Amino acid sequence: MAETRRLRIGIVGCGKIADGHAEVVKHLKGAELAAVCDREPLLAEQLAVRYGVPAWYGDMGEMLARENLDVVHITTPPGVHLPLTRQCVAAGAHVFMEKPLALTAPDAKELIDAVVAGGRKMTVNYWPNFDPPAMEFKQMLARGEVGEPVHVEAFIGYDLAGSYGQALMSDAGHWVHRLPGKLFQNMMDHIFNRIVPLFPDVEPEIHAFAYKRREGVRNDGTDAMLDELRVFLRGGTVSAYASLCSHARPVANTLKVYGTKATVEVDFYNRTVISIASQRYPSAVGRLVPPLQMAGRYLSESKKNIGQFRRSEFHYFAGMSKLLELFYEEIRSGGEPPIPYSEILRVADVMDRVTEQVYPETVAGGAR
Amino acid sequence: MKILVTGAGGFLGKSIVERLLAHGQNEVRCMLRDTSKARGLEEIAKRYPEAKLEFITVNLRNPAEIVPAVAGCDMVIHAAAALKGSPAEMFMDSAVASRNLLEVIVNELRPMRVVLVSSFGVMGVPELPRSAMVDESTPMERHPELRDVYSHSKLRQEQLFWEYREKYGFDLVVLRPGVIYGPGGGHFSNRVGLSLFGRFLHLGGSNLLPLTYVDNCAEAIVVAALSGANGQVYNVVDDDLVTSRQYLALYRSKVKPVRSIPVPYFALMWGSQMVERYSQRSKGQLPAIFTPYKTRAMWGGNQFSNAKLKSIGWRPLISTREGLERAFAAFRAEPEKAK
Repeated sequence: MAETRRLRIGIVGCGKIADGHAEVVKHLKGAELAAVCDREPLLAEQLAVRYGVPAWYGDMGEMLARENLDVVHITTPPGVHLPLTRQCVAAGAHVFMEKPLALTAPDAKELIDAVVAGGRKMTVNYWPNFDPPAMEFKQMLARGEVGEPVHVEAFIGYDLAGSYGQALMSDAGHWVHRLPGKLFQNMMDHIFNRIVPLFPDVEPEIHAFAYKRREGVRNDGTDAMLDELRVFLRGGTVSAYASLCSHARPVANTLKVYGTKATVEVDFYNRTVISIASQRYPSAVGRLVPPLQMAGRYLSESKKNIGQFRRSEFHYFAGMSKLLELFYEEIRSGGEPPIPYSEILRVADVMDRVTEQVYPETVAGGAR
Repeated sequence: MKILVTGAGGFLGKSIVERLLAHGQNEVRCMLRDTSKARGLEEIAKRYPEAKLEFITVNLRNPAEIVPAVAGCDMVIHAAAALKGSPAEMFMDSAVASRNLLEVIVNELRPMRVVLVSSFGVMGVPELPRSAMVDESTPMERHPELRDVYSHSKLRQEQLFWEYREKYGFDLVVLRPGVIYGPGGGHFSNRVGLSLFGRFLHLGGSNLLPLTYVDNCAEAIVVAALSGANGQVYNVVDDDLVTSRQYLALYRSKVKPVRSIPVPYFALMWGSQMVERYSQRSKGQLPAIFTPYKTRAMWGGNQFSNAKLKSIGWRPLISTREGLERAFAAFRAEPEKAK
């Protein structure tokens, strides 16, 4: 049956994040990881050997010609996303893109246009938005429990000493340093892709500022990288406050939506979705009750999470599995893309405007 | 003779430079990834008035940077390798870096002798019975994907050296050190145990630890570099090895108290099977940090020989007893950095 056809998947770009893709695809029903590719063949080889992938390549053209792939996961740095996408589409493959989608919003538009013109499909790995808490929040929103969003706070912590942080802090030549928005550009998708869907489709007002909190003592290319970003946005009747924070602890990943009916906090790391309790009873007694209500809500989140763990649904990349299930399903049977293309482009636009404000010199200097 | 040492600023690299100078090899070019590492080497050079040390900062990921480092050298001792990071980074800094270096070496016009610092991890120990002798005749690992990424990346690195030697025919000597220890090194090899959820699991029991004190290991590398036979492998372990239990007891008495939970081998093996099965059943919800294969490799327990190394004239500079004294004195003074 066409519905259950196993899709042949390829990965191009065998760096760190490719491990996550390989791990997820390995366990997905209806998909097989057929080949991996990196212009550095030793990197392609190690990924293939570790994940039992039957074929590896140092040249994507060769992989596309031989493997008859349904979908290619493009997990390279963003500077080459556009040409690789064109090549995949020309070979008849759909593309699953790692973020950031492209170096600039016009490039992102060109990329999506190329996919559409080729009659193929694409989506971008906004996986935290498909994690169980994010899915639960979307349902609450759809059921009208939050009311109209009034204000949104999206906060993402980043650990410069963590495994990803160390990789770029120890290498001035790391591709992240060459992005127009440097570290922010590599992380901003995950901030603005939570805000944009809650905003009306009008051009938002954006005020961004950024600074470097760590001491710049390395005297190399890493010193130019700012590490704290704050952005205020307003679109129609909704405002937002977005932060990328490299120094506050614990390293957090949260979304708080203040709605006309309720205020809800989504914690992506702790996997909780909590509606903030309000004072329903008068006076001092009234102030005693809400913390107990909150305790009860956290307790029920714990129970839910334990249930998911017992059912083996509590993986780190649970959101990527969900997103890929939806994307592969779209490929098999048509239907709506898991993330509307217009939303992806709006996120790219916001990112460009933030970069223009916080790194005016790289933009003016034509780094993009 | 001019000798290039890669990874010269590292824990082992610094000792290699010192032993080269001690053997009268005064022209040493030290390849560093980070210029700040030169200071320690300059201190060492002060003890050798004849020494002519050169420093060159190179990222082995960039082939163009390697060419001037290799130019004019008669020997390369390759000690640079990745010890941590993501799998892709470890392969970049061990396998890809080595391939880049080899490409430059084989394009040099003058003949060059190449010395690779490999690892015990490249040997197919899991397929040996427990207590079997591990020596240079032990076959290489056949299932690196079932081992840890460090062993896998070091295996690929060593294979590259043999492949290039086969193709281009340069002189090659390979050393496979066991657990290199000493002041400035790690406190506990995984062969002793692991910290898990705030407790130290003692997994090594009465296994012998294939220890080699950092200076003894560096001495072995230099002796093999100067006197080892082309195309030969030399395992590096010291004499009078201690067991994991002895190491832990001595650590407790000399460094600091350690609250440990001893896990006997049969329990570890049973637990490893459970962890592996759970990881498979849950589709990787928890990683298979223990598997029977990894357990056999790391905690199966073996005998070790350094006879081949001794046959070319290597002798440990200091005894294991003294090495441990020195290491533990340093550990006591400088607590281990958080991993």
